[in-house]
Amino acid sequence: MSALRSRRPSRAAQAGKGVAVALLLVFTLFPAYWMLVSALDARAGLGSSFVPAEPTLEHFRFVLTEGGFDRFLRNSAIVALATVLVSSLLALLASVAVARFRFTFRTQVLLMVLVVQMVPLEALVIPLFVQVRDLQLLETLLGLVVVYVALALPFGIWMLRGFVAAVPVELEEAAYLDGATWGRMFRSIFFPLVAPGLVATSIFSFITAWNEFLFAMTLLGGATESYTVAIGLRSFFGQHSNDWGAIMAASTLITVPVMIFFILVQRRLAAGLTSGAVKG
Amino acid sequence: MASTLPAVAPTGTEHRPGPVVRRTVGRSVAARVRPWALLAPALLVLATLLLWPLVRVALLSLQDYGLRQIVTGESSWIGAGNYAEVLTSAQLWQVVLPNTVGFAVAAVSCTVVLGTAVGVLLASLGRLARTIVSSAIMAAWAMPAVTGTYVWVWIFDADRGVVNHVLQTLGFQAQPVNWFTDRWSFYAIVLLNVVHHGFPFVAVTVLAGLLGVPRELLEAAEVDGAGAWRRFFSIIVPQLRQVFAVVIILSTIWDFKVFAQVFLMPGGAGTNREVLNLGVWSYVESFGQNRYGFGSAIAVLLTLLLLAVTVVYVRTIGKEEL
Repeated sequence: MSALRSRRPSRAAQAGKGVAVALLLVFTLFPAYWMLVSALDARAGLGSSFVPAEPTLEHFRFVLTEGGFDRFLRNSAIVALATVLVSSLLALLASVAVARFRFTFRTQVLLMVLVVQMVPLEALVIPLFVQVRDLQLLETLLGLVVVYVALALPFGIWMLRGFVAAVPVELEEAAYLDGATWGRMFRSIFFPLVAPGLVATSIFSFITAWNEFLFAMTLLGGATESYTVAIGLRSFFGQHSNDWGAIMAASTLITVPVMIFFILVQRRLAAGLTSGAVKG
Repeated sequence: MASTLPAVAPTGTEHRPGPVVRRTVGRSVAARVRPWALLAPALLVLATLLLWPLVRVALLSLQDYGLRQIVTGESSWIGAGNYAEVLTSAQLWQVVLPNTVGFAVAAVSCTVVLGTAVGVLLASLGRLARTIVSSAIMAAWAMPAVTGTYVWVWIFDADRGVVNHVLQTLGFQAQPVNWFTDRWSFYAIVLLNVVHHGFPFVAVTVLAGLLGVPRELLEAAEVDGAGAWRRFFSIIVPQLRQVFAVVIILSTIWDFKVFAQVFLMPGGAGTNREVLNLGVWSYVESFGQNRYGFGSAIAVLLTLLLLAVTVVYVRTIGKEEL
């Protein structure tokens, strides 16, 4: 009986839990908070205070005008959207193949899709640099898009596969019975049902392209005009001192869209990463 | 058409939960070609941009490949020369490998322990508190590696960072400390950064697993007098074995590959050779010193290391997933 009653937490346990939650919130939120405070403080980098000493939007104005960050944001948006369009289309077609058909080498294809996700980018960057150079696409956004499509594709296929498998086959067969061709069925039945998965996959591809740093740095080289946000940030680092207010304002501009997207897909993302291996 | 043919019993999927149904398509040529037609664009992209480069990096690692070779396109094969140089260098054994492996072990342990603790905490919270805490966790997870790293660099900045400021105000140190020059404090900051960014995934996944543990099991154990620790290690851990396996292996793969988190720190881009890890070393040898062959050899070693972890991963999830 007493064992059952112990389910009601004691006051000490409650307090301990409260402290744990408070510490956890401080730890998780402090970097984002500090980024925001520094971005909004005219005196950022001159003294450390935990609220903006002189609140201002000046850092944001500077970053978006003289800093040239408007251009970097536009470049990143173009690259990310192009990556999303191409990689989602390819991933959708491929995931239909692996989720709906049984064919020779199907398992091998899936295994390959799984394994290539583990390849370190550092191993790909050297040969891809040479390849992109041979195609004369160095210092162009197109070269970057081509690489990002490849980087986003395996996870996209892996994730969409589950969504495709979840569409009832009976619906498809009903469409066939009504005389629809495969193409017609795909457009009218299949596509609308897979759309939510497509949104989640697209957001993931967007984040991949938006955040990517190594290839942007390597393939864009000195072409400041084409810089994406991830490497554009480096322009605020000075030889002797860094303009931390500007760096934090620019970081805020990069982070906010990602955070919004992330909150939109959070559940799908955790599920996609472990997909099925973890039974919740 | 094909779908009207009697379906052949699917193999090996009978006991799988969920709506995984495979349509067995008939024997018409169109039906046999269709999956490959659908796969073709994706496979083409993967083959030219991921698989061929992997072969290429292995080939490059067997050559003396510098600026001249890049420009002229000629090749000068030197067999295993690059590997011999990597494997006999003191830099590898004294600095790079300990940095890579030691860091991965520390980061995976901290990430998994903290993530599990937070997952358990989340499971015990009420609805409102759980929503608040999990949103905060999402914010940490969503922070891009690049901006996250810059924020940590700013927090620990030698001249005006808030950490030095607070420590000086509290009287723990008289002078500002440059935390980035010492190998240990450098990697302590990387650890903080990586754990901060990595534990949310573990927490969310463990929480999902915990919610699936049958309540009756826990209650029965409690009636039998098992304490909280006992319940955790005797019931929850065995029930979530699969969850922990996946989480540990994925974290291991990610933490072996940390690049931006090291590269963007002061001295991390090759100027401080004490803090190089395999990925950064490969990059700075290639693009800093124009020794692409040597850099490729390092990259191949990193890939092999990750491949070994991946094999374990595929074995863990393989049977029921593919």
